[in-house]
Amino acid sequence: MEFARVAEPSGSLQEVKGWGLDHEDLLGIYRNLLITRGVEERGHILFKQGKIPGSFYTGRGNEGSSVAIATAMGPDDVGTPLHRNMGVHVTRGVEPWRIFANFMGRADGPAKGRDGNMHMADSRLGMISMVSHLPAMLPVAVGCALAFRIKEERRVAVTWFGEGASSRGDTHEGMNFAGVRKLPVVFICDNNQWAYSTPTHLEYAVDHLADRAAAYGFEGVLVDGTDLLAVYREAKRAIEKARDGGGPTLIESLTLRMEGHAVHDDASYVPKELFEQWAERDPVERYRRWMRDEVGMTDEEEDEITVQVKKLLNDALQRAEDSPMPDPATLLDGVYATADDLDTPHLK
Amino acid sequence: MAEKTYLQAISDGLRTEMRRDQRVFIIGEDVGAYGGAFKVTQGFQEEFGPWRVLDAPLSETAIVGGATGAALMGMRPVAEMQFADFVSCAWDHLVTVAAKQRWRAGTPVPIVLRLPSGGGFAGGPFHSQNPESSFAHIPGLKCVCPSTPEDAKGLIIAAIEDPNPVLFFEHKHLYRRIKGEVPDERYVTPIGEARIHSEGTNVTLVTWGAMVHTAAEAAEQIPDLSVEIIDLRTILPWDKQAVLASVRKTSKVIVLHEDTHTGGFGAEIAATIAEEAFEDLDAPPRRITAPDTPVPFTPALEQAFIPQVADVVAGLRALAEY
Amino acid sequence: MATGTIVDVVMPQMGVSVSEGTITKWLKSVGETVAPDETLLEISTDKVDTEVPSPAGGVLTEILVQEGETVTVGTVLARIGEAAAEAPAPAAAPPQAEPAQPPAPAVEPEAVEAPIPVEMPEPVEAAAPQANGHDDEHTFVSPVVARIAAEHGIDPAAIAGTGKGGRVTKKDILAVVESGAAPAATPAPAPPAAEAIPEPPPASPPPPAPAPAAPPAQPAPAAARPAEHGESLEPMSAMRRGIAEHMRRSLDTAAHVTSAIEVDMSKVVAIREKLKGDYVSSYGVNPTYLAFIARATVETLRDWPWVNGELRDGSIVTHSYVNLGFAVSLEEGKGLIVPVVKNAEGLNLLGMARAIADVAARARSKKLNPDDVTGGTFTITNPGSFGTFMGTPVISQPQSGILGTYAVVKRPWVIQDEAGQDAIAIRPIMNLTLTYDHRLVDGAYGAQFLRDLAHRLETWSEADY
Repeated sequence: MEFARVAEPSGSLQEVKGWGLDHEDLLGIYRNLLITRGVEERGHILFKQGKIPGSFYTGRGNEGSSVAIATAMGPDDVGTPLHRNMGVHVTRGVEPWRIFANFMGRADGPAKGRDGNMHMADSRLGMISMVSHLPAMLPVAVGCALAFRIKEERRVAVTWFGEGASSRGDTHEGMNFAGVRKLPVVFICDNNQWAYSTPTHLEYAVDHLADRAAAYGFEGVLVDGTDLLAVYREAKRAIEKARDGGGPTLIESLTLRMEGHAVHDDASYVPKELFEQWAERDPVERYRRWMRDEVGMTDEEEDEITVQVKKLLNDALQRAEDSPMPDPATLLDGVYATADDLDTPHLK
Repeated sequence: MAEKTYLQAISDGLRTEMRRDQRVFIIGEDVGAYGGAFKVTQGFQEEFGPWRVLDAPLSETAIVGGATGAALMGMRPVAEMQFADFVSCAWDHLVTVAAKQRWRAGTPVPIVLRLPSGGGFAGGPFHSQNPESSFAHIPGLKCVCPSTPEDAKGLIIAAIEDPNPVLFFEHKHLYRRIKGEVPDERYVTPIGEARIHSEGTNVTLVTWGAMVHTAAEAAEQIPDLSVEIIDLRTILPWDKQAVLASVRKTSKVIVLHEDTHTGGFGAEIAATIAEEAFEDLDAPPRRITAPDTPVPFTPALEQAFIPQVADVVAGLRALAEY
Repeated sequence: MATGTIVDVVMPQMGVSVSEGTITKWLKSVGETVAPDETLLEISTDKVDTEVPSPAGGVLTEILVQEGETVTVGTVLARIGEAAAEAPAPAAAPPQAEPAQPPAPAVEPEAVEAPIPVEMPEPVEAAAPQANGHDDEHTFVSPVVARIAAEHGIDPAAIAGTGKGGRVTKKDILAVVESGAAPAATPAPAPPAAEAIPEPPPASPPPPAPAPAAPPAQPAPAAARPAEHGESLEPMSAMRRGIAEHMRRSLDTAAHVTSAIEVDMSKVVAIREKLKGDYVSSYGVNPTYLAFIARATVETLRDWPWVNGELRDGSIVTHSYVNLGFAVSLEEGKGLIVPVVKNAEGLNLLGMARAIADVAARARSKKLNPDDVTGGTFTITNPGSFGTFMGTPVISQPQSGILGTYAVVKRPWVIQDEAGQDAIAIRPIMNLTLTYDHRLVDGAYGAQFLRDLAHRLETWSEADY
């Protein structure tokens, strides 16, 4: 039995323009895609150079989906991106040097060395920092949406979780409560087919996780997560529906995690053919081709973006490496908030 | 100034803040139309409407996680666990998300979690616990345990005003049993300050919550002994200076709590006294606590579990004679 | 002991390879009386943790090495003088009429080593302070009483206590202070002027005396690398360091070679089954396979003495006895100790079983004596209890061989039936390895030892008890 709507593939330039994306927007999306991939590729190098403590996680294969959804969000909307959603941070405007600084535990990372990897968020950019207990951020996003509803603000919360996290009770409690109260929240399930080493048939028994939305009383949509524009279309639709009081949507974005769970994992349990098959659907290349074929992105435009991004990342690395380590004397600071702390932009 | 029960005082404090601050809302199971399992929020929904007094599904995780998200968006949620025991279902959100968010990400989480706690009425293992020491171990949380109506009102207001996650342990056995004068106006009882319940010179007795009343009854039964009862009122942060000052005066100290023995908060207090007031001690610091078992159901067993007046009398006498 | 005799307490030699030991605890303090053989202190070495009995009776007059310090074997740790009643004790507390001189902060206010006030004059009887429940409790001086006594130069022992067991309470000593009739200790330190009732000191109370710094047992590494993210550091225990040093040294010393042999344990299994009930009920000991093997090993070593020998300064040493070591693992596999059954050649199967059980139990409960871990001539290690079937253990220096015993496993085994025909039978088979020092023991020599040992086990008869 299937309940979710299966999204159409993305269409022509004409259709895309109808969503309000102009030529510059489309080039900007390409740029964000390259930055997202570039940050993670360089993160790998930093890790192997021993400059990143702990472990290192990437979202290779998920760049298109993350960039698309963040692009569809409004400036006042909030999100709780996870460790496969670098594209969200980049698109919302986190500067790469601060991401590198966070990887390396430097004072200028958003987490100031107190937390690593993607456990970071710039609240000024409408993001809330994830915890490792996936999907704990899901009820938090529902709470944000509740606040918007109580205050009657036209804002939307977007929350990400993996198909692995779909097995936990937080997912159920959060979705159920959001459904009951018809809250302005969009649930994005990044189904990358592997919960660390566990394949989907050992994780859930429905055909699609998006089918579960019906059980919570809202719409479920299944979309090809490598098709950036299709994801954009569905995210935009769901976000605006939520903004207009139409309640939550669950979007299942299907991708393949193209690397191991983390840098220490060679993902040898993933069949080679699966990797090969999904490599052909690489979201970055797919979007680039579309830009060339449909939009007519020129060699000059492409080269310019490539060179720009390369320089941006090189400068970012340099700046991040120049960032100091946090002062151990500050360790005890801020365990408790003071009244002044409440006067922050995100609490408007 | 009017005489109010402990329960009425909590309602009074909540209503005061709801009226004063539009950001304050209440969420919990059966808190709306029904007015709460103990009727603390009775009449609230009529006054404040269904979006400020929210009946939640049976979802402690969503309640606490949701309160956290709403707080991050500028609200001042007051979430109720129907019984403190059920906070275990929300542990993750409290401890993993709310407690660490300020330190880790710079974003404060001003939420209040109301936790009807404690035993004494045959509630059994899942409706009688005093889990405050579990949370007193978590940096980033605050734990409040008022014992009188006046403090209950002042501390619930302080908790709502506080920019941190505050656990408000309200003792069920005090709800309607304890009455006292409560000022009508708004006032704040500072978190982290103990109250000298009764002054004395022979023995210091440190306690909080319902045990303050047990301690007072015990002290009354030994008029020849001058017992200084310190009501901690909050255990995270706790008023170390008040305790140490009293111990320096009396040189003998008992810590009394309704929670179980091992790892109970009394251990922290006793250790601090040993560390910081060793040269003022004339006897080993003693603890009177529940034994290390779950809370039993039937009254005969429950009385053996919860420290009784007679236990405190015996403890005081033994320490006095040391 | 003879009057005037001073007996030194020295760091004992806890094994051939042991060069130092750490004092973990003094059980007596200076001035206390100690009986001959009464436990005086506890030490830790890389071989064992043990108690050290007093070499003589008398009064502990000096402690020269403090808790936490590591010193070489033979270092004088303390001195025992004659009993207090027999002669004036040089450093112990004087008799009751004249309380020991209290610390004198007034004289040397800036002397940082000045004992803190809790270090009160020793009680006259110099008994160990008891905090609760004993008859001699009146000697216990609570921290606050100690402080007030020091502040006012009062000897609490001279006050009649009203506390539990006659203990001097805070109230008692304050009454004395207020009465002005302080039985002053001499010379009294100048009490703070006009301070009849001790108030909490304005400044924070003096910090506890710093613990004597323990000199590092090993030279500190040039630069300790801090823990990386995801790593944790814990100091090596003395035992761990000892094992590490010994294992490395053994591999650097001996030319390790390992040979293995398969043994059909059918006879041993059968006899063991037969004996088991009787041994357990009558003697409370289990005739383990290890006991059989140990017994057979001792017999076989007599025929192959170099396996039981050692190389020492260019000579080959052989022994007329077998001191048989058994590797015993401690604390969930962390830590290893090799207690030695001395003169194992004198033990029959029952004796061997009991001796093994005894040393293993004492090893695990840390009750081994220094002698129990020294003097081994050959060692058996038994990783087979975990199911392993092969290994190459490291020789315990200065020995020349170590026998490894492995799991007894039922396996298909080719035998000859009565008619001399080959047949396959199910037999309990065990592997044995001999790891030997090829500097002394050649391959053929070691292999013959193994062959003979296997033969002994395979042909075990009840007469071999």
